Amino acid sequence: MFKDLDPILHSQLRLAIISLLIGVKEADFNFIKEKTKSTAGNLSVQIQKLKDAGYIEVTKQFKDNYPLTTCSITKQGVHAFEIYVKALQGYLHTDKN
Amino acid sequence: MEKELTPTESLAIIENMINKAKSNYSDDSTLYLLWGWVIFICSIGHFILLQTNIIKYPEYIWVLTWGAVIYQIYYILKKEKKKKVKSYTDEIVGYVWMGFGFTMFFISIIIGNQNNWITLYPIILFMYGTPTFISGVAIRFLPLKIGGIVCWGLAFIAKFTADIYVLLLLALAVLAAWIVPGYLLKAKYKNNSYEE
Repeated sequence: MFKDLDPILHSQLRLAIISLLIGVKEADFNFIKEKTKSTAGNLSVQIQKLKDAGYIEVTKQFKDNYPLTTCSITKQGVHAFEIYVKALQGYLHTDKN
Repeated sequence: MEKELTPTESLAIIENMINKAKSNYSDDSTLYLLWGWVIFICSIGHFILLQTNIIKYPEYIWVLTWGAVIYQIYYILKKEKKKKVKSYTDEIVGYVWMGFGFTMFFISIIIGNQNNWITLYPIILFMYGTPTFISGVAIRFLPLKIGGIVCWGLAFIAKFTADIYVLLLLALAVLAAWIVPGYLLKAKYKNNSYEE
C-alpha cells in the first residue's frame, strides 16, 4: 500500500527503535526494551535486521560478567529516517488534499 | 504477520519515542549537592578561621575539595557502569563541567600559590555561574539557570566587597547555584518528572 516507504523502517518495532536512537548517542538493550515495551526475543530479531541494513551499530561487551548490547544509529540510519519522514509527510499531505 | 502501519500511526510512534528519549537526563543532583556543601563548608570555615585566628594557615581548609574530587571520580565510575543510555545533552553538560574543572585546577596551580586568592574570588564566582547556567538551559531546569545568574550578580558585588567577606558571597553563591537546585532536582527525579 505504502510502496514509497522504506520496508525496513515501516514496521512498528523497528521504527520505534530508530526513533528512540535518533535522539540519544547510544542506548543499551534493556533501555530500548523498556521504552519500546517489547519482548527480548522480538527486539533481538528487529535489532539484527536494522544492523544488517546498516542503520544501526551494535556493540556487544561484558559488564560485571553480564552481556551488554549497546546500539547507536549510523549516518545511513539517520539518512534513511529522514527520507522515511519525508515520504510520510507526502502521504499525509495527499490525504489532506 | 504484523499489520501494516498507516502514516498517522507511524508519526505517532516517532513522536512518542522521540519524547521518551528527549526527557532522559541523568540525575546529577548528588554532584551538585556534594560540591555545593563542600564549597559552602570550606568558605564559611575559612571565614571563621580568618576571623578567629586560631590556626596559622586557615586556607588549608580547602584541602577538603580534594576529598570531593576523589568521591566524584568514584561516583562517576559507578554511575557509568549502571547507565543504560547516553544522551547528547548529558555528554555536552559533562564536557562543560569538565572544562570548568580543568580551568579551576589550572587557576589553583598557577595562581593559588601566589597567596592572593581573595582578589580572584569575583572571577571564580563568575566562573561558577557559567556552567551552572548552561546546564540549566540544557536540561531545561529553571533553578539552575537562576543559580547561574545569581553567581554572575554576586561576582559583581564581590568586586566591591571588602576582603574576607567575599567568602560569605561564595557560600551564598553555592547555596543558590548548587545546593538549592540540587535538592529541587533530586525531588524532581524522585517524583519521576524526568525519566531515568
